[in-house]
Amino acid sequence: MFHKVFREPFSYEKIPLETAIRKEKDRATNTWQTVKRIASYFLPNRFKLSLVIFMVIVSSLLGLYGPYLVGTAIDEFIVAKKTSGLATLVVALFFVYLFHSLAIFLQNYWMVGISQQIVYTLRKQLFEHFHQLPISFYDTRQQGELMSRVTNDIDNINNTLNESVIQVLASIITIIGTIIVMLWLSPLLTLITLTTIPLLVIAMRWITRRTGPLFKIQQKDLGELNGFIEEIISGQQIVKTFAQEERVKKEFAERNKALRSSGFWALTIGGFIPKVMNMLNFLSFTIIALFGGLLALKGHVTVGVIVIFSEYARQFTRPLNELSNQFNVLLSAVAGAERVFHILDEKVEQFDEDDAVELDTVNGHFQFNDVTFSYKDAPVLKNIHFEVKPGETVALVGHTGAGKSTLINLISRFYDYDAGEILLDGVPLTSIKRENLRRHMAFVLQDTFLFEGTIRENIRYGKLDATDEEVIEAAKKANAHTFISRLPNGYDTKLDESGSILSQGQKQLIAISRAMLKDPSILILDEATSNIDTVTELLIQDSLKRLMKGRTSFIIAHRLNTVTQADKIIMLENGEIIEEGSHDELLSKGGRYELLYKGAVPNDKEDV
Amino acid sequence: MKTIFSHLKPYSIHIVIAYTLTFIELASELLFPLFLGILINEGIMADDMKQIYFWGTVMLFITALTFAAGIVNSFYAAHISVQFAYSLRERLFSHIQRFTFEQLAKIPSSALVTRFTNDVRQVQNTIFMALRIMAKAPFLIFGSVIMALVVNFKIASIFLLTVPLMMLFLYFVLIKGANMFKRVQHYIDRINRIIQENIAGMRTIRSFVRSDFENERFSEANRLLATNTTKAFRFVEMSMPVLLFVMNLAMLFILWFGHFHVVQGATTVGDVVAIINYALRTAMAISLLTFISLAFSRAKASIERIDQVLAERAEEETSGDKYTEAIKGSITFDNVSFRYANANEPTIKNISFNIKEKETVAIIGATGSGKTTLFQLIPKLYEPTEGNLFIDDKPLDEYDIETLRNQIGYVPQKALLFTGTIRDNITFGKRDATEAEMIQAAKDAQIHDAIMAFPNRYNTLVGQKGITLSGGQQQRISIARALIRKPKILLLDDCTSALDLQTEAKLLEAIAKYNCTILMITQKIRTAKRADRIILLDAGKVSAIGTHEQLLQHSTLYQAIVQSQSEDVTYVS
Ligand SMILES: Nc1ncnc2c1ncn2[C@@H]1O[C@H](COP(=O)(O)OP(=O)(O)OP(=O)(O)O)[C@@H](O)[C@H]1O
Ligand SMILES: Nc1ncnc2c1ncn2[C@@H]1O[C@H](COP(=O)(O)OP(=O)(O)OP(=O)(O)O)[C@@H](O)[C@H]1O
Ligand SMILES: [Mg+2]
Ligand SMILES: [Mg+2]
Repeated sequence: MFHKVFREPFSYEKIPLETAIRKEKDRATNTWQTVKRIASYFLPNRFKLSLVIFMVIVSSLLGLYGPYLVGTAIDEFIVAKKTSGLATLVVALFFVYLFHSLAIFLQNYWMVGISQQIVYTLRKQLFEHFHQLPISFYDTRQQGELMSRVTNDIDNINNTLNESVIQVLASIITIIGTIIVMLWLSPLLTLITLTTIPLLVIAMRWITRRTGPLFKIQQKDLGELNGFIEEIISGQQIVKTFAQEERVKKEFAERNKALRSSGFWALTIGGFIPKVMNMLNFLSFTIIALFGGLLALKGHVTVGVIVIFSEYARQFTRPLNELSNQFNVLLSAVAGAERVFHILDEKVEQFDEDDAVELDTVNGHFQFNDVTFSYKDAPVLKNIHFEVKPGETVALVGHTGAGKSTLINLISRFYDYDAGEILLDGVPLTSIKRENLRRHMAFVLQDTFLFEGTIRENIRYGKLDATDEEVIEAAKKANAHTFISRLPNGYDTKLDESGSILSQGQKQLIAISRAMLKDPSILILDEATSNIDTVTELLIQDSLKRLMKGRTSFIIAHRLNTVTQADKIIMLENGEIIEEGSHDELLSKGGRYELLYKGAVPNDKEDV
Repeated sequence: MKTIFSHLKPYSIHIVIAYTLTFIELASELLFPLFLGILINEGIMADDMKQIYFWGTVMLFITALTFAAGIVNSFYAAHISVQFAYSLRERLFSHIQRFTFEQLAKIPSSALVTRFTNDVRQVQNTIFMALRIMAKAPFLIFGSVIMALVVNFKIASIFLLTVPLMMLFLYFVLIKGANMFKRVQHYIDRINRIIQENIAGMRTIRSFVRSDFENERFSEANRLLATNTTKAFRFVEMSMPVLLFVMNLAMLFILWFGHFHVVQGATTVGDVVAIINYALRTAMAISLLTFISLAFSRAKASIERIDQVLAERAEEETSGDKYTEAIKGSITFDNVSFRYANANEPTIKNISFNIKEKETVAIIGATGSGKTTLFQLIPKLYEPTEGNLFIDDKPLDEYDIETLRNQIGYVPQKALLFTGTIRDNITFGKRDATEAEMIQAAKDAQIHDAIMAFPNRYNTLVGQKGITLSGGQQQRISIARALIRKPKILLLDDCTSALDLQTEAKLLEAIAKYNCTILMITQKIRTAKRADRIILLDAGKVSAIGTHEQLLQHSTLYQAIVQSQSEDVTYVS
């Protein structure tokens, strides 16, 4: 059992860094660029920062002056036993100490302010960037992984700025000061002492070449763990009903182990830095003793110089030591920052074209001219060609996966089409500003999303300045009012994470109320009533019909009796329009729509 | 707090080793000036080159030894702290896996996640630091104070006043600081929550052009986080100049009285110089101490937050003597009522019915009538507040939960897929399924052809919650995920809403072959008619049970539903 204790800490599997190290040149410039980029965030605070630097200088000088005064006090008053004048010195010292503490206080105070300002800005930028990234960005990203960037990665930067910057500044000042004094005392011994510097450089290179990638791996592992936990906890319902707790635990353990091992190496190797510094400290001390002794034998230096020098050698390496400790924190911050900048550098939804226009009002005249679109490689929509006159209601029908929601994604410019053209009132969609375009539309998306907050707030999302009456009015139209008023707190009932206290159909009713409240020119309903019972649906249909009157509307529904009244039904199959016309026209035609409508199973295989 | 540190227990020997190594480092640091003295006295003063070489070598040797100790210490300290973090996360995760839904609702997932990463790491880093430098500060301070007292009690007695005072102050800073950092962590949760919500609801947000609104909402939380962090850091960091000043005042005191005593001849010069020296050392250690107290107050805040999660009592582990046999699949509700913990009224009221094995029963009812809630009672996701539920005439409580759930195939109303491949998702509940089983399940769920049309087929990557698939595709993969388990009871919660009638018909035919009890919630009369019996729910109560024809005759509510789908009905019959 005991030998385990001695073996365990050394039996972690190595993390392959070869690739990372080989690319060291890029990485070095990369790291340097990241540091420069972080530094650029100081610019708006440069005045405060110069105050901090000033205070650091003041406190460093006072920090040296205090002991110096104590030294004189000892020499003059204690050793020489002078009786008068101590009071003045004590008073002087008192003020030195006071200002010293004050300077330290101020430098900390301002620095915290600066660093929090920077971290605030970073978080803000990242968040705002999230809102500019194209929707497709989110197709492949885990939520928790993205969350980790805002919390864990930025937190790393936060810690560095708070703790390290002052230390680094103070250390640099002290080092410069000591070297000057040492040179003044004995250039020869100084030179000898500084021989340890190359050793230091070599050691630091060895270490940072490893810790650089290690910290990055650690942050990545942390992000992945965050993503996994977030997703599993959000999907707890499935995990539980499928009794997969044990398996999920195992999968968690894998990620946990990965983080453990990258964390171990990052900590261990990062932990070498102060040890190396300590060693160099001892070494220079020894060198001074040894060479100093030999020089003293030859009469080149005095014993006094050796003693003072050894003291200074300690002084010299102590800040270096602190610096090196901070170096570690710095590296992990750089790793965090790189991950943050990585997202910030993701291309945003192409900015609206320069000549993009804003439409004040729209009539809702749509023309689809041979529109083709693919998410990745396989085309999902092919040569879509049709026209919607202002005020018309168009129903998109077809088998699942036919491309109905995709068409909506194009109309709303969540994605931009690859070829062809969509014109709204004669203007190509791509030259209308995205936000402006969406302002004219109201959506009920296939995937209902409710926010944390009250029901009222959720409905009001459709029109932020709506009065309570308007909210209730909209809810009544959507037939949501009855169930809402039965809830313990009515419209003020708090919904928690994604509205889990409501039934699926109730959520859709809220989403419909939201769209009703918005009162748009163009209405888009993607499976808006799929989970609502048919009796309620009929009731809503009335209000919807009134809402759709005079507005261009797109409806998608699988329960086809809800779309029979549309002015135009477009049937999609495999991304192509196969039939088009009114309900009666299509039925009398006796084609695919009729089959779909009647639900008869055709003899041929077609399904997808 | 205790429970958390129990995770350090297996490493007590490691900790002893780590501290021993730290003491070796510390001891050599203290010894080194001594060696210099000897070297000067016996080498330089005595003009003895050999001695210089000898002591120089000794110093080199000690340097090497200390370095080795330091490196080994790095390994131990890192080992202990990552192991600690690892087992703490493991513990948290297992614990949360046993949470009931009520408990999960208490702490939002975004806040739970921060416990795992941010909070655990805070504690981990503090432990790492504690194992490396923490011994130093108290050692330096108390060592110096005791030495000073030994040298001259009277002059050094000022330490007896200042040091306890400083300790008290530090303690106060730590406690108050911990509270402040707890608030900081709370705001991190909040930020995390907003981000989670924004990413999950990005399409809704963009469609309503609410990015500015959300940015503002985030700004508010962000600002609160920043101001609270600023406050907390400023507060804790303020302690350092204060302590330093107090210590320096003590120095003035020593100077003054030292001088007095020396002039009076009561003390020697050497004593005073020594005490001043010790005072200087203590002052040095103080900056270390604040650093430590900062780390500790943050760690304390995090520990309390982790504790809060661990303190939630988790679902009982199923004990061994529970029923673990295969079930046949009959279900009996005996006067079952259920009320959600946060609701005033029961959602389900006095429900009784009996479903025979292999029977197919449709459940129909208005939005919010309690259909999903009823389903969730069967795999014991929630327990009835009143009444009893039997499967094969045995009360649910007598079943081993895992065995029971493994024989139930649940298709939820919202598909809820996970990041990964389609294969991963279908085999979610049966990782050892063969390729053939998977394809069969996919075929029965009517999704095989669609999958084969994707370039990467079953290896197609799916985004979180399945966002890269169409709604109907998500639903059918979720059905395949249930079918592959060959369940004895299949629960289908309105999962064919995005399917056209043809596909749905084929799907139901395929499912019928599974030879199991089927309960399906549906809105479509056409679909309901395929079942042996229909249960009509109304506001949490059973309004009618029977075949389509029976209900059509007796239930006005049912007639209304049929009426609402009349066009549909006329086309079919
Ligand atoms: N974000 C995406 N990335 C890649 N492929 C996608 C994405 N969204 C949809 N697809 C694919 O595009 C095709 C069309 O999907 P779409 O959502 O438009 O179908 P739909 O007609 O709305 O079907 P449903 O009735 O099931 O909602 C499907 O094969 C789907 O897998
Ligand atoms: N976790 C919860 N906490 C409190 N109340 C809830 C919770 N989940 C559901 N409810 C309430 O219980 C009632 C029944 O919900 P349930 O989800 O069972 O309805 P449903 O019949 O499935 O409806 P739908 O057809 O819309 O899916 C609703 O009024 C809902 O607001
Ligand atoms: Mg769709
Ligand atoms: Mg439901």
